[in-house]
Amino acid sequence: MQIVRVQHCSAWFNDSFSLRAINWQLEPGQCWVILGHNGAGKSALGALLAGAGEIRAGHIEGLPPRVELVSLASQAALIEAERAKDDSDITDEVFAGTPVHELLAEHCRDPELQAQLVQLFGLAALLDSGFRQLSTGETRKLLLIRALVSKPDLLVLDEPYEGLDAASAAKLAVYLAKRASITPLILILNRVDEIPAFATHLGLMQGGELVQQVPSSDHLARQQMLQLLHLQTSDLSIPPPDPAAPAPPLNAAEPLVRIRQGRVAYGDKVVFSHLDWCIQPGQHWQLSGPNGSGKTCLLNLITGDHPQCYNNDIFVFGYQRGQGESIWEIKQHIGYVSSSLQWQYRVSISVQNVLLSGFYDSIGLYQTATDSQRSIVRQWLSLLGMDRRSDAPFQQLSFGDQRLVLIARAMVKHPHLLILDEPCLGLDDMNRQLVLALVSRLCNESSTTVVYVNHHGADVIQGIEHYLALPGNAAETASAALVP
Amino acid sequence: MANYFNTLSLREQLAQLGKCEFMDPSAFSAGVSFLQGKKLVVIGCGSQGLNQGLNLRDSGLDVSYTLRESAIREKRQSWKNATDNGFTVGTYAELIPGADLVLNLTPDKQHSSVVAEVVPLMKKNSCLAYSHGFNIVEEGMQIRDDITVIMVAPKCPGTEVREEYKRGFGVPTLIAVHEMNDPQGDGLAIAKAYAAGTGGHKAGVLMSSFIAEVKSDLMGEQTILCGMLQTGSLLCFDKMVEKGIAPGYASKLVQYGWETITEALKHGGVTNMLDRLSNPAKIRAFDLASELKDIMRPLYHKHMDDIMSGAFSAGMMADWANDDVKLLGWRKETGESAFETATNTDQAISEQEFFDHGILLVAMVKAGVELAYETMTSAGIKAESAYYESLHETPLIANTIARKKLYEMNSTISDTAEYGCYLYNHACVPLLAEFMQKIDLDVIGRGLSLVDTSVDNRRLIEVNAALRSHSVEKIGQTLRGYMSAMKKIV
Repeated sequence: MQIVRVQHCSAWFNDSFSLRAINWQLEPGQCWVILGHNGAGKSALGALLAGAGEIRAGHIEGLPPRVELVSLASQAALIEAERAKDDSDITDEVFAGTPVHELLAEHCRDPELQAQLVQLFGLAALLDSGFRQLSTGETRKLLLIRALVSKPDLLVLDEPYEGLDAASAAKLAVYLAKRASITPLILILNRVDEIPAFATHLGLMQGGELVQQVPSSDHLARQQMLQLLHLQTSDLSIPPPDPAAPAPPLNAAEPLVRIRQGRVAYGDKVVFSHLDWCIQPGQHWQLSGPNGSGKTCLLNLITGDHPQCYNNDIFVFGYQRGQGESIWEIKQHIGYVSSSLQWQYRVSISVQNVLLSGFYDSIGLYQTATDSQRSIVRQWLSLLGMDRRSDAPFQQLSFGDQRLVLIARAMVKHPHLLILDEPCLGLDDMNRQLVLALVSRLCNESSTTVVYVNHHGADVIQGIEHYLALPGNAAETASAALVP
Repeated sequence: MANYFNTLSLREQLAQLGKCEFMDPSAFSAGVSFLQGKKLVVIGCGSQGLNQGLNLRDSGLDVSYTLRESAIREKRQSWKNATDNGFTVGTYAELIPGADLVLNLTPDKQHSSVVAEVVPLMKKNSCLAYSHGFNIVEEGMQIRDDITVIMVAPKCPGTEVREEYKRGFGVPTLIAVHEMNDPQGDGLAIAKAYAAGTGGHKAGVLMSSFIAEVKSDLMGEQTILCGMLQTGSLLCFDKMVEKGIAPGYASKLVQYGWETITEALKHGGVTNMLDRLSNPAKIRAFDLASELKDIMRPLYHKHMDDIMSGAFSAGMMADWANDDVKLLGWRKETGESAFETATNTDQAISEQEFFDHGILLVAMVKAGVELAYETMTSAGIKAESAYYESLHETPLIANTIARKKLYEMNSTISDTAEYGCYLYNHACVPLLAEFMQKIDLDVIGRGLSLVDTSVDNRRLIEVNAALRSHSVEKIGQTLRGYMSAMKKIV
C-alpha cells in the first residue's frame, strides 16, 4: 500500500451527517485506532475510506483498490439483503437464508485461511445453516471472516469486538495482532480497554472532525485524549411511572418467572434442555454464555416471542403459559431492550413517540398518548440530554443514541421485569457508563427486577447478585492453529 | 359443480359485487372472545398458514395444524414449520373431527380435493374458513348445510402478517361470510374474532363478499398486475434494442424500473409516481397514458366480462384438466423471449434515472392501474376492493420481476394469475403494435433531451389536476391513511 492522504476532505452522508475538513495521513506499517463518543463520526470516517459518502471538498489520494469494511452498518446491510432475498411472501415457503458457506465463498481469495478462521471461530458446524439461523454474534463472525479472507489492501474494522463473547473476542485480538503486520488496519473502537498494543496511532473524532491525532508512543498526549472521552455525566434522576396507569399488581408471594425443565430445539438440534429458572421479585439476575448458547432464546421464552414457549412449563406474571392468555397480557409487565429490537425498530417515527410507544409495548405508536405520559417522556428526554431532539426522526439518531432511547422506552412504564439483552452493544464509554449507572439505580431505587445479559466482564451493574451461565456447544470452545 | 356466481339473479350478483365497507374499530371490541376455548385447526403450513397460526395462538387461541399423512410421514417442510414452532400436528382424521373452526390455507388449486376430503370429517355446526374464494365462487364448491363458511384474507404476505402483529399492529384484512352457509347466523362474529386474532382489526378490516373478492382479484392479477407488466417488459425491451440501446442496459432498465417507479406509487399513488418526472416528462407520460388507455380499454373490458361470465375460469379449468398444456407452452415461450434471456449490464442506474429514462414505463403503469380500477368499479365492484386489487398490489408484483424477471413473477404468482397474464399478453402485444411504432428513445431508454425544461403553465395545471382528481387517488389517499402508521423508512 502506498501512503493514503486525506486532504481537507469534507463529506456528506445522507444530508443528515457530515465529516468536516479531515486531514489525515495513513502510512504503510501504521495501525490506527479511531475513538470518539457516539455520533462523533467514527463510523462515517471508516465508511468514507470504504467509498461511502459524497465528498464535497478536498480529496483522498492513494487509496488502494481493495478496502474492506466490517461495521454494524455492513451487518445491517447483509441482514437487509437477506430479507430482500426472502421469497416466502410469494412462494409460501419459509426461508432460512443463504447458507453460510455460500456467503463465505462470495468473497474468498484464500480458501486455506478461510478454513482456519472458520475453525477458529467455531463456525464449522454452521456452514450449512441458513443466514437467518445465526445468532447476532455468529453473524458478526461471518462478516469478519468474509473480510479477512478477501485479502484486502486496507482493512477497516468498525467495533469488531461488538457482539462477540469474551472467548471469541480474545481469539480475534490475538489473530489481529498477527495480521496487523501484513494488512494495514484501522480499528474503530468504543471501548478504551480494547485498544490493542500494536496500535501505532490514535485518532479522536468529535462533531464530524478528526480533532486529535496522537502516536501511541506519546504517553502524555494519549492519556489526555482518553480523559476527554471519559466526560463526567450529570446527576441522574429517574422519572416516575405514569400515576394514571400504574403497572397491574402481581401476587407478591409468587415468582415473576418460573421455568421448569426448559427446552428449546430445532429438529434434532437442541439449543438447551433441562433448564430450571425461577426469578423472584427484586432478584436481579445476570445471564451469560457464549454466542449461540441460547441466551436470547431463553429470554424470548419469557417475553413470549419464542414460539416454543407454548411447549414449555412456564409461569410468568401470574399466567401459566398456553392457557388462553394473549402475549400482550404478558408484555405489559416487561420492558425489553436488545440489538435485534433496534433493527426491528425501522418505522418512521419521532424520538418522542418511540418513548411513548413504551407505554403500549408496540413498535411504532398506534394509540393516542395521554398528557401525563407526554410529561414523563419529556423528563426522560432531559435525563438523556436529548430535550431538543424530541421531534427528530428516530432513524436520524446515531446508533448509540438510538440505544439510549430504546432503553428509556423500556423503562418508562416501570415494568415489573426489565430485560436488557446486551444493552451496551455498540455504545461508547461515556454512554456505556450512563447506561450502567442508570440500570444500577433502577436495580436499587425502583421495584423493577432486572435481567441483564452481557459478554463484558467489565460492565458490572451494582445490585446484581444472581448469575445464570448457559453452557456453550462444543464448536464454540474448540480452538485452532493461528495462521494470519 | 357449477359456477356459483352464475346461479344468482342479477340483483343478487350486483349486491354481492358491491359489498365492501370499511368496518369501524368499535366492531372489534369483543376481540377474540367468540373463539376463546374453541379448537382451531389450520390445514397447510406454508407462509400464510404458519404466520396466521402464530398470531392466533399469541392472541390466546387454541391452534393446531393438520397435514396430509404423507407430509407428516416424510417430515416435509410444512411439518417442520409447524413442529419447530411448537404446534400440535396431526392427520385430517385425527384433528378435523374435534375442530370448531377449520382454516383452509392451502393453495387454490388444491382446494377442491382438500375440501372434499375434509368436510365429511368436520363436526356438525362447525365452521370452514377460506382466505380466497375461487373454490366457492368459480368452481361452485358446495359445503354441507350445517357448516358455516367464512373468508378472512389479510392483504399482505404471510411474513408481514406476523411482523406487523409482533409490533403491536396488523395488516389490512378483508372478511366475508358465504351467505349460502351461515346456518347459525354467527359467521360474521367468527370472522371478526379471527381477524382480531391475526391483528388485522388494528390496521382496518373491509367487510366484503366471496364474489367481490374473487372477481376483483382475478381482474387485477391478469390485467395491471401481471399482464401489463409482462407486455410492457417485452415491448419496451424490444423497442430499445431496435433503436440501438445496448441490450444489457435495456434489460436492466426494465427489470428494475418497474420496482423503482412503483415504489413511488406505493407511497403516494399515481400522482407521486408522475411527480417524480420533470415537468415536460410528466406531461409526456400523461399524454402517452391517455393514448394507451384509449387503445387498451376494450381489452380490459373483455377481461372483466370473461371473468364475470365465468368464461375465464371455465377455460382455465379445462386447461387444468388437460395437464396444463396451454399454461406450460406459454410459460416456455415467455422464458425464451429476448428480454428474459438478455444479460444485464454492470453499469449503475440511479433511482432517478429509472424515472427519467422510463417515461413509457410510468405511462404504462398509470394506464394499467387506472383502467383496471375504472373497469372494476364500472362493473359494480366497490372502490376499496378495486384499489387493493390494482394499485396496492402492483409494487408487490413489480418486486418479483426485479428478482428474476418474468420467470420469477410467473413462477411465484398463482397458476390462476399466470394463466390470465398470458391471455392478456397475447392480446395486448398485437394491440399495441401500431402505438409502439411511433415510440422512440426519448420516452424509453434515453430520456428527453431538453435544453430547458419550460412548460406551459396552463397545460401543467390541467395535467396535475387530472392526476389528483382521479377516483383511484382519492380512495388511495384514504386507505393509505389508515395504514400510515405502519409505513417503514425505506
